[in-house]
Amino acid sequence: MKAIYLDNAATTPVDAEVIEAMRPYFRETFGNPSSIHSFGQHARSAIEGAREKVASFLGAKPAEIVFTSGGTESDNFAIKGIAWANRKKGNHIITSAVEHHAVMEPCHFLECEGFEVTFLPVDSHGLVDPMDVAKAITERTVLVSIMHANNEIGTLQPIAEIGKAARERGVCFHTDAVQTFGHIPFTADELNVDLLSLSAHKIYGPKGVGALYIRQGTRMEPHMHGGEQEGKRRASTHNVPGIIGLAKAVELAERFMSEEVTRIASLRDKLTRGIFDRIDRVKLNGHPERRLVNNVNISIGYCEGEAMILSLDLMGIACSTGSACSSTSVEPSHVLRAIGLSIEETRGSLRFSLGRYTEESEIDHVLDTLPKIVKRLRTMSPAYRGISAAKGAGG
Amino acid sequence: MDEAGTMKDKVVIAISGGVDSSVAALLLKEQGHEVVGITMCLGVAAEEGGRTKCCGPREIEDARRVCQMMEIPHYTMDFAGDLEEYIVKPFVEEYARGRTPNPCVACNRHIKFGTLLDKVTAMGFDFIATGHYARVEKQAGRSTLSLSKEMRKDQTYFLHAIKRETIDRIRFPLADLTKEEVRQIARRHRLPVSDKQESQDICFIPEEGYGAFLRSRSIDVKPGEFVNREGDVLGLHRGFALYTLGQRARLGGWSGEPLYVLGIDARKNRVVVGGKADLMAPGLAADRVNLLVDDLPERCVAKIRYAHRGAACRVALDGDLLQVIFDEPQEAITPGQYVVLYDGGIVLGGGVIREALK
Repeated sequence: MKAIYLDNAATTPVDAEVIEAMRPYFRETFGNPSSIHSFGQHARSAIEGAREKVASFLGAKPAEIVFTSGGTESDNFAIKGIAWANRKKGNHIITSAVEHHAVMEPCHFLECEGFEVTFLPVDSHGLVDPMDVAKAITERTVLVSIMHANNEIGTLQPIAEIGKAARERGVCFHTDAVQTFGHIPFTADELNVDLLSLSAHKIYGPKGVGALYIRQGTRMEPHMHGGEQEGKRRASTHNVPGIIGLAKAVELAERFMSEEVTRIASLRDKLTRGIFDRIDRVKLNGHPERRLVNNVNISIGYCEGEAMILSLDLMGIACSTGSACSSTSVEPSHVLRAIGLSIEETRGSLRFSLGRYTEESEIDHVLDTLPKIVKRLRTMSPAYRGISAAKGAGG
Repeated sequence: MDEAGTMKDKVVIAISGGVDSSVAALLLKEQGHEVVGITMCLGVAAEEGGRTKCCGPREIEDARRVCQMMEIPHYTMDFAGDLEEYIVKPFVEEYARGRTPNPCVACNRHIKFGTLLDKVTAMGFDFIATGHYARVEKQAGRSTLSLSKEMRKDQTYFLHAIKRETIDRIRFPLADLTKEEVRQIARRHRLPVSDKQESQDICFIPEEGYGAFLRSRSIDVKPGEFVNREGDVLGLHRGFALYTLGQRARLGGWSGEPLYVLGIDARKNRVVVGGKADLMAPGLAADRVNLLVDDLPERCVAKIRYAHRGAACRVALDGDLLQVIFDEPQEAITPGQYVVLYDGGIVLGGGVIREALK
């Protein structure tokens, strides 16, 4: 059996069509888009075409798209760029407790520079209340940044309402849409956002390229200084093949999105139901309905995520957990803690994120394998043995 | 079984990023076993640029790189909670009582061959392997823990407290190799860790040392009195927790015979000192005894610390109380350290030294 990849929220394989589209931009149309000669002009023409593609997908103007090195840079640029450009106006930023580190950490960085950051709490489904946003805005507030969908638990935030609340008070609004862009349909105007981060490698494009949508008229302080690329907003020679790849990935998303949303959501529901039918003491994390079509996040009681993920991987199934021990940190997921999970529940969490290439037979295989692994690992848990003995289930 | 009909075991190698466990992984892989590397993350990592630690980010990267070169899967698993509960807390408590504990012994019993072994067993592995210099031997159907070929580096002292029933689940691939041979194998295979220095320190003690660590754990490390056996005050020390029995005591202005730490009175924050001859004792009493054989022989060899050469003795076990009488008096028998018993290369077991006998 070939390995099963259910970690599409981490990254996705590059679509063959994307690779084909990128190929000419390594050796043939290799010019520097900033050069005056024909080589440069051809490359320039290609990236401007890509910009138009990405812009139209977002219902935006080409001048409102700045290419970056990916989601993390887009978030950093948005937050620092707005904060620094508005120092005279104020020093207050509003964000949420469940943001990606690419938003959290720039905010903490700015705290050291004298900014004040409000980290809004979320409810047990991971939702930010737009009323809380409205209440938190003060005269000194320069930016609200709330993610579109959470990368761990998949909860979709009421972005349009939050954007409306920010706009009524004249505060700039940014959303990290890395998990939703190209997965579900929306335009920048529908979401009432001023800035929006997106990334190519989550939508079957290459790693190392993304973009930041910046509504026309939004004042930004650049965070990369150098050449005059991107209207002097972001210096650095263009990643031409990457940008072409991003545009192609967007084109494919446009083509497949409506069909994929239905297909992947039905596989997601099959996986969720199947796990609940086959394993006891399971809890779904995130909102039951308002969630990404490809996200299943569960906590399995009396079973450590670390051991599950390792066992699954050894059996050819790739997914992730909210308490993996990376080389620098053993902290349990701040997202799972923010929605009120106990340390035990975060330890027992698993995230499956489905994608374009996920097949039904793979879901069946997971539903066959996971319960066996859980049963075996639970033999280690004296607490679980006690429970199953008490109810006579026999473990 | 593979095509040749030989048994292939599923083995986890506890890999630290050092040369020993890396070579152990390599040997298992060459023997044809299905090997998976696991690095224990103990949550005591030093910052990048800090001192090399058994489980710092740099070490985990090394372990991962070695596994990738050998094409074996590698994972890190979090044992920070276990380290705190089973090792650090008791360590601090022992220090507070004026004893000198050995956390590596406890780590092998409770974590490596405790919770880690339990976990990998539940995951379906047959064996756990480590880069220890030690040996598992089968004799008359029973497995024993025995000395390795590398006598100078033998680590059975640190392993004697493992639960007896776990011996059958353990592999020590370095049993028949010397440290130099291990380094040669590492170089021959161009492992990036072949010339790495060994870590000798206790992994959770920070660079700032014992004093800073104990203070961070609310142990009051403050100056107190050096006294002789008669109770006469001879000078001031830096805090009783910073002294170990047998160590040379340096007193300002002292011009007599060299003085050594004979005892620690934690309650009074006093360190008792005396001449080298006063360090000698004819025997010891130990408790928390762990046996790796059915019965103890009457005579055997006892090691009272890792660096001890071992001394011939008579032993008697009464319940959980072990009495060891040496043929020749031994120096600096230290409460809190382990006494480990050997018979012809086989580890019989051991216990925690309670006191030296007069």
